[in-house]
Order: sequence, then C-alpha cells, then structure tokens
Amino acid sequence: MRIDSIPPWPEGIEPQVPTEGYAGTFTHTPAVPPIRRPPGRTELTAPRDLAAKLPCGDDNLAVLAPGRMALGQYIHIAGRILDEDARPVPHAVVELWQANAAGRYFHPIDTRDAPLDPDFIGNGRIRTDAEGRFGFFTIRPGAYPVPSKNNWWRPPHVHFSVLGPASLSRLVTQMYFPGDPMNAYDHIFNSVPDAAARERLIARQLPPHEVGLGWLGFVHDIVLRGRAATPEQP
Amino acid sequence: MSRALPTSQHTIGPFFPRTYFGPTDHDLRRRTATAAPSPRGEAIRIAGRVTRAGGEVCVNALLEAWQADAGGHFDHPADPDVGAADPEFLGWGRAATDAGGRYHFLTLLPGGYAEGSHRRAPHVNLQIMASGLMRPVLTTLFFPAFTAENAADPVLAMVPEGRRGLLLAQAEGDSEGLRCFRFDIRLRGDPAEETPFFVE
Repeated sequence: MRIDSIPPWPEGIEPQVPTEGYAGTFTHTPAVPPIRRPPGRTELTAPRDLAAKLPCGDDNLAVLAPGRMALGQYIHIAGRILDEDARPVPHAVVELWQANAAGRYFHPIDTRDAPLDPDFIGNGRIRTDAEGRFGFFTIRPGAYPVPSKNNWWRPPHVHFSVLGPASLSRLVTQMYFPGDPMNAYDHIFNSVPDAAARERLIARQLPPHEVGLGWLGFVHDIVLRGRAATPEQP
Repeated sequence: MSRALPTSQHTIGPFFPRTYFGPTDHDLRRRTATAAPSPRGEAIRIAGRVTRAGGEVCVNALLEAWQADAGGHFDHPADPDVGAADPEFLGWGRAATDAGGRYHFLTLLPGGYAEGSHRRAPHVNLQIMASGLMRPVLTTLFFPAFTAENAADPVLAMVPEGRRGLLLAQAEGDSEGLRCFRFDIRLRGDPAEETPFFVE
C-alpha cells in the first residue's frame, strides 16, 4: 500500500513532553521544538519487504520449545494494524516485547532483583496478513518498579513496535490491560492528555467462551499515521 | 471512508530486546541477513554518539536509518522512476547504542533526487528512539562535500542558518577501505549544539 498524505497529530493524542513524574524525559526531550516539514519522498517511503531483513513468524512467546512453557497466565493478543482511514495495513512488521510474570525483562540492563524465567525471553515478531491482522501467544506481564525517587511502578504492559508502509507511519507504543488499578498511577500512560486516546491504549478482553480453554483472549487494534492513496479502480 | 485516530506514541523504554538484532541489521546495503551488499555505489560508514542533557551518553537507544540508493531512487511505488531503483540495496537499517552511546551504520553514499521544483541533496533520515524519549525524534544527515546541493535543499533551508551545520556529517578519513562520516546526535542541550529535529 502507498501512503500519500498525513494529517497532523490530532490534539490530545501525543504524550505530553517532558512528562511529569518521568525524570528521564527532562534530560532527553529536545529543548528546541521540532521543525515542521512537509513530508517528501524520503518520509513517504519505506522498505517494501522488510520481513526479508527482519525474520518474522515468532508469534509464541509462551512456549520457548516443546515442553518448555513460560510461567504465568497464558494470553493471546490479536488485533489489526490500520491506517487513518481505518483501512487494514497488510504486511506491516509488528514487534512485541514485554517483562516476564515477575516484571523482569530478559535484557542485560534489567538488573532488578526479581527472577528471570528460563523459559521466557519475551519478544516476538510477525508480519500482518493481507487484512492487517496479527496475533501473539504470550503471558500476562508483571508490574515492576521504575528506579526513581517517586515510588513509580509500571502497570503490566506490552511494548509494540510497528514498521508500516512509510517512514512517517513508524510507531512505537505500549498496550495496557483493562481494569488494572495500576494504570491510573502510571506516568507514561497518563502522559497522553486525551482520556479517549488513553482508553484506546487498553486492550479489550474477550469473554472466555469466545476464546478457548488454553488462554485468555485480548483484542487490540493499532492505528498508524497516514492515509493511503485511493486504490486505482480496475 | 471511516476515520480512525492514530494510536498514541510511547517511549521505547530501556529494554528494546538485543535478541531482535541480526548481524547485518546496521548494513543498509543488504536486503537480507545473508545477501551480499549492493555494489552499486560508494560504500561508506556513518558513526556517532547519542547524548542527552549534560553530554551524558544514551545507552540502548535505537536508531533507524532510511535513504535513497546511490542513484537517488527508492524501490517503492512513490518513486516516479521506481524501475531505476537498485534491486539489491535495502536503504534501511537499525542499530542500538552501546555502553558508550555509540552507533554505526554501513551504507552507500545516497544520491540526490528531484522533487517538485526542488532538488534534494543526498541525505539519510534517522529516527532515534530511547528511554526518556516519549516521542521518537527524526533528523536528517547531510554530507559536507555537496556544498551547492546542500545550499539548494528545501529541508535544510527550513533550519535556521546558524544550526544547519549541525546536520552535516563530518568526514573522518578512511577505515578498512571505507570513507567514514561522523554524526553525533545531541538530544538535548544548548540550542547552539542540540541536533535539529523535524516533525511531519
């Protein structure tokens, strides 16, 4: 698909920066506002077949190998990648990573005193199908404290990185779980000013009878910036 | 057509998995991990450091690069002469900063291209994501030798004159037969030193 226009960010959707309670944003956010430029060819293009470069198909984080099941509550996250016209984005690369059930990442710089799970790495990568759909089997991540002076805990969340049809539709975001009381206290979740935009970061839980016995089901759609060119009429 | 509102951006956080990286992800010349690098152009190395306020280094920041091929084309339907694009060149790469805040890419020197009534100078777009950055930042690297092309580039012209030099990579000699360019990214600092960033 080809993106050919991009409306500006609607108000209230972009996180407020620097972000209250998140000290790192005060040392990393540029002091000079960014220069608004009209998108040109470099911004409207992206690799057509990134899946050849970034191997896709790793959609089961819950099972490391036969007989090696991660510790935690098994869940399935399904959704679609859409553009601003609500059209599905086929063949987008979707990366998902998260902490284990104890809230620890399999990463050398996460040195927190919580157990690693030898059966959980916690990252996957897939390519959306022709209807923009993706799905991952995983476990519900644990909450974890952020090293900080303000006793800040991140609620359970899943990181998403999406590489779509244009550089300007590149998106990195996080997904939250419905009804988690920790959401209300999170500085990152609450950096999004618009309540409806925050709500769209929370997955919807499916009734168990619609899912099956092995796992709990969540649905989460992600909308990339940009509008596609009108398809040519045959 | 029904409208959908874009999903909010969030920080990539400190723990973007190292397990995601393949050995040639930082090499824009290769379409796959095992493909040979495209030979159609001058191979170059782009390297630098990512720093934040106070000149402190940023560790495990993610950089993604995107550029035209040596002939100034993209293998993408938005290119008016897509058939002329290099069939082996990818033009995209990603790298994470190490404990010293350093990154590097291998690529081909990009070509410029005509767009509307303007001509774009050779450039590389860089997107930087890091813990502490709630929104990714976008910048564009230009090459110092293209004085006339840079002077006519419409994007560089949008940058206040005194800050344009911050978008020029510095030639740093040769290493293993490749010309090297240094491009440091200062996320936050004195406006005279902070890297100019863009938003679309």
